[in-house]
Amino acid sequence: MKYQSQLVAQKYFIAALSLFLGQILFGVIMGMQYVVGDFLFPEIPFNIARMVHTNLLIVWLLFAFMGASYYLVPEESERELYSPALANLMFWIFLVAGALTVLGYLLFTYSELAALTFNELWPTMGREFLEQPTITKVGIVIVALAFVFNIGMTILTGRKTVVSLVLLTGLVGLAVFFLFAFYNPVNVVLDKYWWWWVVHLWVEGVWELILGAILAFVLIKVTGVDREVIEKWLYIIIAMTLITGIIGTGHHYFWIGTPDYWQWLGSIFSAMEPIPFFMMTLFAFNMVNKRRRDHPNKAAVLWALGTAVMAFLGAGVWGFMHTLAPINYYTHGTQITAAHGHMAFYGAYVMISLTMISYSMPIMRGKVANSQAAQTLEMWSFWLMTVSMVFITLFLTAAGILQVYLQRFTDTPITFMQAQEKIEIFYWLREVSGIVFLIGLIVYFISFFVKGEEPQGVEA
Amino acid sequence: MNHTDKNIVQYKPLPGDFAIWVFIFAELLVFGILFISYAFTRKYNLELFNHHQQFLDRETGAINTVLLITSSYFVVRAVDAIKKNMSQQSARWLALGLLCGAAFVVFKILEFNEKFSEGITLSTNIFYMFYLCLTGFHFMHVLLGMVILAFILVKTHRRKYNADDHDGVETGASYWHMVDLVWIILFPLVYIIR
Amino acid sequence: MTRFAITSSTKATLIWLLLVLLTLVTYGLGKIGYSGTFVITIVLASVLIKGHHIIADFMGLRGTEKKWRWLMQGWLLLIVAVIATAYRYS
Repeated sequence: MKYQSQLVAQKYFIAALSLFLGQILFGVIMGMQYVVGDFLFPEIPFNIARMVHTNLLIVWLLFAFMGASYYLVPEESERELYSPALANLMFWIFLVAGALTVLGYLLFTYSELAALTFNELWPTMGREFLEQPTITKVGIVIVALAFVFNIGMTILTGRKTVVSLVLLTGLVGLAVFFLFAFYNPVNVVLDKYWWWWVVHLWVEGVWELILGAILAFVLIKVTGVDREVIEKWLYIIIAMTLITGIIGTGHHYFWIGTPDYWQWLGSIFSAMEPIPFFMMTLFAFNMVNKRRRDHPNKAAVLWALGTAVMAFLGAGVWGFMHTLAPINYYTHGTQITAAHGHMAFYGAYVMISLTMISYSMPIMRGKVANSQAAQTLEMWSFWLMTVSMVFITLFLTAAGILQVYLQRFTDTPITFMQAQEKIEIFYWLREVSGIVFLIGLIVYFISFFVKGEEPQGVEA
Repeated sequence: MNHTDKNIVQYKPLPGDFAIWVFIFAELLVFGILFISYAFTRKYNLELFNHHQQFLDRETGAINTVLLITSSYFVVRAVDAIKKNMSQQSARWLALGLLCGAAFVVFKILEFNEKFSEGITLSTNIFYMFYLCLTGFHFMHVLLGMVILAFILVKTHRRKYNADDHDGVETGASYWHMVDLVWIILFPLVYIIR
Repeated sequence: MTRFAITSSTKATLIWLLLVLLTLVTYGLGKIGYSGTFVITIVLASVLIKGHHIIADFMGLRGTEKKWRWLMQGWLLLIVAVIATAYRYS
């Protein structure tokens, strides 16, 4: 660790991982509710479990991105963080706000929570992923602005690198697009139209810049390949991301009452969205093959390569499967979407967060890399989580294909609930995979506490 | 380059940085799919396409083609010049190339302006949807290409490149030729053949 | 077989002339307003010639590894072939 203030990242990472555990627990509960409908009812109804599962995901990823930025930016800018105190303060505000919100979901009915938080003054609740009470949303904006300010000042007054500028662009975009969460028109078409500006332009736009920047940073560190080479790739990847991703928003505009031309624009441009992910895979493997040193942190290298592969599979291939309008006509809102959602979030954003944590946590704890024993265990957790996620995706895809056929495609379609019964076996298999994922996550946590002889080497 | 032995085939590397080529291949894939979509959509909307195609401005289209070809040619000369260590000549060729690009942009804006003032939008019909998307998307590539050219023009002018180190010029040139290549197909496809 | 050096300015100028000429022919055919297989064939052939020279000489792929030339020229050929197929029965 080169700068003292990078240490701020540690508490962000710890919070992120704790919330990750919460997210997975609720995932496992919900997976059970798919097959045993009244499991834990009335304490945790399905809709609440789902809300907590998705909201925790987003919040912990935000924690991880913030932590990653606080670690990465001082090192890139070659100066201490502009204000470590502000970063600490924002951590507590964000954590408390997040915890209160989740407690609110669990302790009150959603309508009570809405009344309690004065939603009627500026109604923004009740939309998928944006369920947070309006005051929580205001809190998120404040935290995001303070965070972007802190990071921005550090970058702009220090050494400016491509990596840090791409990261900053991504973070500013993240903050700006969240503002559309406050726009909640009565017209449902308009509502959905702008809602995607938050959801799509985050995960298929600016978040990819953050992902690219973090991946580039870790690859510079662990491979020792020239910064210029890595930066060039980064430029090209983000250019392609923006070219395909922005107009690619159209693949959400097929059936919501928007003009016809979105079926063309959405299909064509989003069909190209796998390209930047494919480039990322090429990039990561090329850089690792050209490495100039063997970094002792093998686990971090594994996570980085894993990110590149799984992001391409989950976001790229599984997204492509149902992105063309004529196909989406049948698959819209089925388990195919769930399959894609799971592998894309895990492959792209969960794995890049874990890559950064894997690389930086040992350094923040005063060593170049973890002991061999700890790394071996971490690699086990990598495989357990990744393989079980592949299985979750495959089972959901199978369930989705069957669902599409039985409910929509065949000449004698059956109802939604009838179809759900017929695909129950896949939900059971998915639940088993989910439990393996949870075990993998626990193994991951244990790996932080394994001792042993730490590898020696220059801190990189 | 050295004369090669008959048995050993020596290949040149791709001009410019390899990363730009990955980008070029990806871009060509995007344009390729756009072209193919156009061709097949036309097949099923023949009357509509043939009818509205007549109202496109073929003159501007042709002038723009010549401008892009000429611009590409100037950029080829710029690369030739820098390989001979003549950075000021190279900068002059690049400036000429950029000028042609700027002229293309001006003509294109006039053309778009005319269409918009006729009240044509993406929703007018499927032909205009394709016309606006294809030319508009290409237009943005021209702008991006010009930014890249301007960047290497400044660096060339400041003598940052020479006969041994001119990867940057070749990288920018390769991208610019790609923009030209795409237009070479786009122009006859959308404006001419019926 | 002799390979010409691609850096020759004269050659670039000649290719430029050829490209401009072919463009004028394309434009002329559009101007006259003829349609049909014959015109489409001529125009698409000129696209192939122009594209080939831009790829080989302007982009400088002549003399590079086979796979790159195949990739680029193959792309051109594929696009033109598909367009030709789609226009054949119109």
